Amino acid sequence: MAHAAQVGLQDATSPIMEELITFHDHALMIIFLICFLVLYALFLTLTTKLTNTNISDAQEMETIWTILPAIILVLIALPSLRILYMTDEVNDPSLTIKSIGHQWYWTYEYTDYGGLIFNSYMLPPLFLEPGDLRLLDVDNRVVLPIETPIRMMITSQDVLHSWAVPTLGLKTDAIPGRLNQTTFTATRPGVYYGQCSEICGANHSFMPIVLELIPLKIFEMGPVFTL
Amino acid sequence: MAAPPEPGEPEERKLLGFLDVENTPCARHSILYGSLGSVVAGFGHFLFTSRIRRSCDVGVGGFILVTLGCWFHCRYNYAKQRIQERIAREEIKKKILYEGTHLDPERKHNGSSSN
Repeated sequence: MAHAAQVGLQDATSPIMEELITFHDHALMIIFLICFLVLYALFLTLTTKLTNTNISDAQEMETIWTILPAIILVLIALPSLRILYMTDEVNDPSLTIKSIGHQWYWTYEYTDYGGLIFNSYMLPPLFLEPGDLRLLDVDNRVVLPIETPIRMMITSQDVLHSWAVPTLGLKTDAIPGRLNQTTFTATRPGVYYGQCSEICGANHSFMPIVLELIPLKIFEMGPVFTL
Repeated sequence: MAAPPEPGEPEERKLLGFLDVENTPCARHSILYGSLGSVVAGFGHFLFTSRIRRSCDVGVGGFILVTLGCWFHCRYNYAKQRIQERIAREEIKKKILYEGTHLDPERKHNGSSSN
């Protein structure tokens, strides 16, 4: 989960998120250098003693500042497109979970190997145990295995919602009447938090998502869900 | 990268408040070499030409070019290293899982080399 006043990305829990963090670092360095150059140019403009306004014919400079930004954009676009197509790959998922957004809770359906359906409500502050996270913990977590390709089918029963888990690099809109699909493979066990990411009413901020990722061996043992 | 600082640890510092040079691979290395390159280029230019303004321009240009060059070089090597680590991890896992069976990677490799 995010810590207080966190600005940067959370640690990655999936290969896609690792790639996204790498791309973010790459783009941020380029942006930092461009900002540095622009600030320097601004400083020069503000402090120059040159007042001759009859300057023309700077063909070389104009060529450079046309071609160079194009090259920079290509350097940013190529990794970006690579990751974009990588996120659309579907690697034969072993498990399919349905996630249905409501006002203001999530319903999860495990229908592959049985008919498990449950709701996931945020724990009200009065029901929090010591150590629980306010506005993040839920009564029933989504328990999933690690190192297993998982398909999430996301939709909504009423208004727009969005199912997001930042550490997995996932954010998919829950649209009524439409079924959206996202796939992921978690690389490490743990409890990971997300929040609804599409404004959906008064309690939009109070319908979090909690994933409990456990080793496949333990997941296969059977009923590990706390209902 | 995003873990909060432990109580005993010093607070994380970010360059200009947002560039996380401590936790971003290659960032600190690139910025330091870029700064060194900037100083060397700018000061060297000034020594030869005694033009302050132009030397500052050369310094800034040197910073940008050296930082970018170090950054891409370091990130390329880092990406290569990550791929090698992933391959090694997969091979170790396969070795542990399939040791002694017909799927043992070492048995396959020895079999193909003896043929």
